[in-house]
Amino acid sequence: MTAATPGFVKLLSITFVLAIAVYMLVPLIVVIASSLSTSQFLVFPPPGFSLRWYTEVFNSDAYLSAGWTSLKLALFTVAASVALGTPAAIALSRFRFPGRSFLSAIFLSPLLLPSLIFAIGLLIVFSRYGDGPSLTGLVIGHTVITLPYVIRTVSANLIDMDPHLDEAARIMGARWWQRYLLVILPQCRTGMAAGAFFAFNISFDDAVIALFMRAPNVETLPMRIYSTLEFSPDPSVAAVSTIMILLTIFMVLLLDRIFGLSKIA
Amino acid sequence: MTQLVVQSVVKRFGKQTVLNAFDLEVAKGEFVALLGPSGCGKSTLLRIIAGLETPSSGDIVINGRVVTGLPPEMRNIALMFQSYALLPHLSVLENVRFPLRMRSQASRAEQERRAHDALALVQLDQFTERYPRQLSGGQQQRVALARSIVAEPDLLLLDEPLSNLDARLREDMQIELKRLHETLGLTTIFVTHDQDEALALADTVILMNGGRVEQRGAPEELYGQPRTEFAADFLGGANILELEVVRRGDVLMGLFPEGSEVELQKSDGLEPGARKFMLRKEAISLAPDTEMATLAASIETQNYLGSQTRSLVRAGGLALVAVTDPVSAKSKARDLRIGWRPKDLIPLTS
Repeated sequence: MTAATPGFVKLLSITFVLAIAVYMLVPLIVVIASSLSTSQFLVFPPPGFSLRWYTEVFNSDAYLSAGWTSLKLALFTVAASVALGTPAAIALSRFRFPGRSFLSAIFLSPLLLPSLIFAIGLLIVFSRYGDGPSLTGLVIGHTVITLPYVIRTVSANLIDMDPHLDEAARIMGARWWQRYLLVILPQCRTGMAAGAFFAFNISFDDAVIALFMRAPNVETLPMRIYSTLEFSPDPSVAAVSTIMILLTIFMVLLLDRIFGLSKIA
Repeated sequence: MTQLVVQSVVKRFGKQTVLNAFDLEVAKGEFVALLGPSGCGKSTLLRIIAGLETPSSGDIVINGRVVTGLPPEMRNIALMFQSYALLPHLSVLENVRFPLRMRSQASRAEQERRAHDALALVQLDQFTERYPRQLSGGQQQRVALARSIVAEPDLLLLDEPLSNLDARLREDMQIELKRLHETLGLTTIFVTHDQDEALALADTVILMNGGRVEQRGAPEELYGQPRTEFAADFLGGANILELEVVRRGDVLMGLFPEGSEVELQKSDGLEPGARKFMLRKEAISLAPDTEMATLAASIETQNYLGSQTRSLVRAGGLALVAVTDPVSAKSKARDLRIGWRPKDLIPLTS
């Protein structure tokens, strides 16, 4: 057999892919390395190895309470966006109604519009009609930007679903609510899990909306990192970032364990 | 006893009429094939019987009860989909138990026992804990079949039951379906575009064309005595001969384009004039005996098919296809006489 692609082209494309991987991973490596530093300051390469900044983080009330706030925020966001996004995806995929494609576009718009614009809008709405920024406000804001992910991932599940499942269930005597609960919803499981994963990460990671919706008593982890960087940058920031990276990796592994990544991505 | 009546059912989709005043009666325990090309309305009819489509007019009566307005979940029927439509998140046993569970028939233990029995009937009782994706296509179909019979439906509907299987499995499954029907005696209606399937399985074949019945009858009747060119051609393919019928004394003769004549068997409505006839490929003999109508012919080409040989012969100005056993086809002179029994040359109405 003759090679369809000349050797040097193959070599070139492999080099290119490797370069992209390096480009993506270097910042992570820099952050992780800096977190293990002995230095007082955020410098790279670190002068020596120590875990003191991790001890620092776990003894800091500011980090711990910010972490707790972020965790609560992310979990509420996940719950809200999965609870709203799954039925929305089911309705969009199953029913033909006027304005359907318009609604699809609306639901995807947070993916396309800069979150800054949303943040400004949210701030105006909450200042005018609510009692200003709050955790609830943040949950609502994050739900808006994470919903499209859930709708996307669940829709992908529904596209793959055998279109005859619902009819088969009817023939077998299932009433409409039994079909939603026992037939359609179970087909959305991987999409719901993937959507939840995205929602968690986006919420846990978000600094833009959190910055605009900053309430006096609500500080999320990204905001804590941001203000530390601004006023007293030290390697604790890198330590927190490393913990966030590990959390993400852990969740990816968990998802893979339960559903298999190939089904989700 | 009549199990199903389809009463002058009409189905229109927009301007298009898919079923045109369709009538059908199926006796209890009958095995019926709805056969026809795609677009003939057979799948629509099946979906109307199942309740997945509503007829534009007409009625469906199952077991003496008018069910026309009744949704499928309220009819006691089973439908096996072409895609099987197994629930991917449930085990084989749970899939088969599903109809009993939805209809709350008996206790859970009793439901499981009946699901087991149904699986045993299709020889799949060792796979109860597996998931559909872990099974082969043929096994998945057996699960779908077990699920269809578990609740003892009034009607078993099968949509193209064998079309997703390879040739070998298809043969096994034909035997399996026939055996199952003989064991359980369920009134069964299946849709197919495959004439072999219809002939192999059904007690009654209903040949459909353009939203109406072209011809209905036992498989032997449909194959042996097709009334129209469509029926002759759709079931098995055949030689269609256009002959001039002429009267010679008190016998009718068929006049070939090149002038040769063969005697025709008397039949109702056969009159002098142009007429189409059907001659099955296997009705033509390359070594005719004295009881046959014969014709001078020449063999143009032959295909060896293993158990048979197909010969393209030219006779009387027509090209005919003859399928014979390989021995009699072998070493035939290129010029010969071919023949057939007069009863095999069947007049068609157009």
